Amino acid sequence: MKRLFAPALGLLLLGGCSGIEPAPHCDMGRVSSQRDLVPGPAMVPDEKSPLKEMPLNSVNITDPAIINKLYVRSISARRTATGTVEVMAQVVNCTDFPLNAEARTQFTDASGAPAEIVSAWQRVHLSPRTIGNYRELSLGDKTVDGYLIEMRETK
Amino acid sequence: MHRVRLGLVVLATAATLSACQRVDNTPGSPTVYVDPATSGPVKGVGIESQDIVSMTDQMMRDMLSQPRLANAATPPSIIIDSEYFHNESSSRLNKNSITDRLRVGLNRAAAGRMQFVGRHYADMVAKERDLKRQGTVDRATLPATQAQKGGDYRLGGRITSLDSRDPKTGMMQRYNQIVFEMVDLETAEIVWSGIYEFAKAAQDDIIYR
Repeated sequence: MKRLFAPALGLLLLGGCSGIEPAPHCDMGRVSSQRDLVPGPAMVPDEKSPLKEMPLNSVNITDPAIINKLYVRSISARRTATGTVEVMAQVVNCTDFPLNAEARTQFTDASGAPAEIVSAWQRVHLSPRTIGNYRELSLGDKTVDGYLIEMRETK
Repeated sequence: MHRVRLGLVVLATAATLSACQRVDNTPGSPTVYVDPATSGPVKGVGIESQDIVSMTDQMMRDMLSQPRLANAATPPSIIIDSEYFHNESSSRLNKNSITDRLRVGLNRAAAGRMQFVGRHYADMVAKERDLKRQGTVDRATLPATQAQKGGDYRLGGRITSLDSRDPKTGMMQRYNQIVFEMVDLETAEIVWSGIYEFAKAAQDDIIYR
């Protein structure tokens, strides 16, 4: 009986591995392990925030409902012809279901303080296993130095 | 016995402290106020506050990235009102809520990169100018000008929609398309265009007033 059990278990395990998963491949375990949440006291003026979970110049998925469903593939920023800043983020829907997310951007000045009003929520429709693009423009030109993108599920 | 008591105190303190460090992830006090930039408890298939906030914000930011409008040697004079912004959709709405938000937001954000002409106040200005020139009132402090300010560009646009309903389920779907265009007031050239579109589907349409 024992002799039969071991090969059967091996075959079962191999069978589980042999299925080809279509792209995109989202390794949520790795994404999660790279998060760096540092507990600490309240923010003190002129000091960096102890919360490293929301660094500047990044996309932060703030909604637990989609944190393990979306994967931020790339982020870029550039100056437009008028000097305003254009940020672009590519987001991958890792699920087999359509997803509606929305994002907004807070542009910041050189000191990290908000340089202008936060942008309005902009919807990003993501079909199953597709890449969606989010694009936002700043209002100010020289005053803008950084940005912070928040993303959540559209309710 | 004393040690056990001390241990209990330490444990209780640790438990209290750890509780303080957790997020109190409970709903806040109920209020009648809702965020106009997010869909509220009453949702339909028409144009709602979050759509107006989102579309005007998007158009405003896009206009400020266009060199012809926001990087000219002499800031252009722009007219933004609802005179040539038409609602041909099945949504009942006051189109001024779109053009007013766009003008106010753009005027505040432009910071001198564009100038705005209040053509919807032309009558008010003309009356005061007449009173000053007739001598009924004094000339106030600003220097007199030959005429009211003219516009270089004016906003035009259109709101259209496409409705469909499933008679079996009562499900309603509406595609909304809002087009914004900035027109050269000398040549009629369209120097900037923006489009905002979305489709919504719901079981029952709500009543918009």
